[in-house]
Amino acid sequence: MTNRFEARSKVALVGYAQSPLRRHADMPLGAIAVETAIRAVADAGLEVEQIDGFTTGALFPSAGGHQVEDGVSIVTSHWLAERLGINPRFSSGFQGWGQLSGSVMLAVNAIASGSADYVIVHRALHNPVGRYHGSSMTEAHGFAQWTAPQGYFGPLATIALPYNEYLQRYGASRETMAAVLVEARKNGSRLPWSHWYERPLSAEEYLAAPQLVEPICRYDCDLPVDGVAAFVLARADRAADLPHHPVYVAGFAQASPVVPRLPGHWPLDDIMDGGRTTAARLWEHSGLSRADVDLPQLYDGFSPFIYFWLEALGFCPLGEAHRFVADGGIDADNGGLPVLSGGGALGNGRMHGVPQMLECYLQLSGRAGDRQRSASVGLACHSSPHLGGAVLYTAEPL
Amino acid sequence: MPIADARSADYWAATTNHVLALPKCADCGQLAFPPDVVCPRCRSISPQFAFEAVTGNGTIRSWIVVHDSFLPGFAADLPFVLVDVELDEQQDLRMIGRLLDGPNVALHVGDRVAVAFEDLADTVSIPAFELQLSDPAKAP
Repeated sequence: MTNRFEARSKVALVGYAQSPLRRHADMPLGAIAVETAIRAVADAGLEVEQIDGFTTGALFPSAGGHQVEDGVSIVTSHWLAERLGINPRFSSGFQGWGQLSGSVMLAVNAIASGSADYVIVHRALHNPVGRYHGSSMTEAHGFAQWTAPQGYFGPLATIALPYNEYLQRYGASRETMAAVLVEARKNGSRLPWSHWYERPLSAEEYLAAPQLVEPICRYDCDLPVDGVAAFVLARADRAADLPHHPVYVAGFAQASPVVPRLPGHWPLDDIMDGGRTTAARLWEHSGLSRADVDLPQLYDGFSPFIYFWLEALGFCPLGEAHRFVADGGIDADNGGLPVLSGGGALGNGRMHGVPQMLECYLQLSGRAGDRQRSASVGLACHSSPHLGGAVLYTAEPL
Repeated sequence: MPIADARSADYWAATTNHVLALPKCADCGQLAFPPDVVCPRCRSISPQFAFEAVTGNGTIRSWIVVHDSFLPGFAADLPFVLVDVELDEQQDLRMIGRLLDGPNVALHVGDRVAVAFEDLADTVSIPAFELQLSDPAKAP
């Protein structure tokens, strides 16, 4: 038995649409999703009636207890299909971490198995009025009782703890992370849809920002936005008849189950041990290796994920990512690895893996315009290496 | 404020007396914190956890300094330090708690701590930690 993907290169991305990313949009999230899906279908050269599959991961990733309402603060597959007037053969939602890579996985498997012919993978994210992660909890029930009473709460604490573990273990400094932010915002400033369009960030600005949960400052966190992206996937043999150069799915991997921990407790060793398993699964599934990847789009919802993914995927030895970054290793304008050429979440807004997937699509289909790079194998990952997942894309079938 | 339930009542009852008691699986005798539905060590589906007093001594694996709390009720405490502690009783047995020494002490991975308690109310005490600066058993 092999773990190689039998449907390698048999499913392709054939079109996309990306809404503007705004702090607070002037349309409800569901309306933006419908509009964006229609644009994506047209971009793919298809009619809305031809869409017979939908997948998404609809998580509203706020710790703040905001109301979750379909079409308003989230958009599920079923909601979108119904508002497009479609009764799809296949409609499903991904429940785990790595919502976007997981949604792509569901879509690719649906198409490869014949459960659907043309699938929309969308992601809709909402920025509610009020503080995104601010909680009014005064009583800690259930799982929260083990950590909230002492003030350990929310995703900033979750990432700050392993980030400091990294800084201490490897003698890294906060100052080095400025290069990650400068790179993300430089590339994001070139994207008209980005919240940060024409707004790069300097290292001085980054280092001057007050720390929220030390060693994490505001710029280490992606900014919550209202935004929707939609991609259309189809069988590769049908994709050849469509207007744009298809981008082929070579394989994917989702992380393994992790040992139970305290709420929001991600020890560095869990992240890196799990991440190496995720990476090994990705190479085995696709038949590709790290050396084949010339467009590794790394997830950066919090800046330390760039270090963690660089090392988990093997682009740097363990503990060396901070030196690699300090030495210009991710400066994509000057020969560095293009890990943030699509701006990432830090350079776009909180779009949960969309910037990574979109950059793979745009570059590998030859649709990146002034930003076009020479690339043949893209990697788009999402979430933490020990929880999320990754998808490999190629410009040509393997 | 923690709200005790069937799975945690013995834990919070012990902390009221300033005793740290952690759940031990009846099947394998290993500690498991927090208590899960299935024992994470031996996978027993009926671990029947009994809370057993531990020393509360351990080693700092990481820490953070909270300057901006996302929970109500902590404003007067800012900034405060939270430490990720590996307890001596068992490998990889971890707790996260406030470090009562405050944000102005130099910390290192491997520093030794002992459990302490913060009294929130007459019958509610939250486990926290204090540095043991002169502990000769300091671990790397």
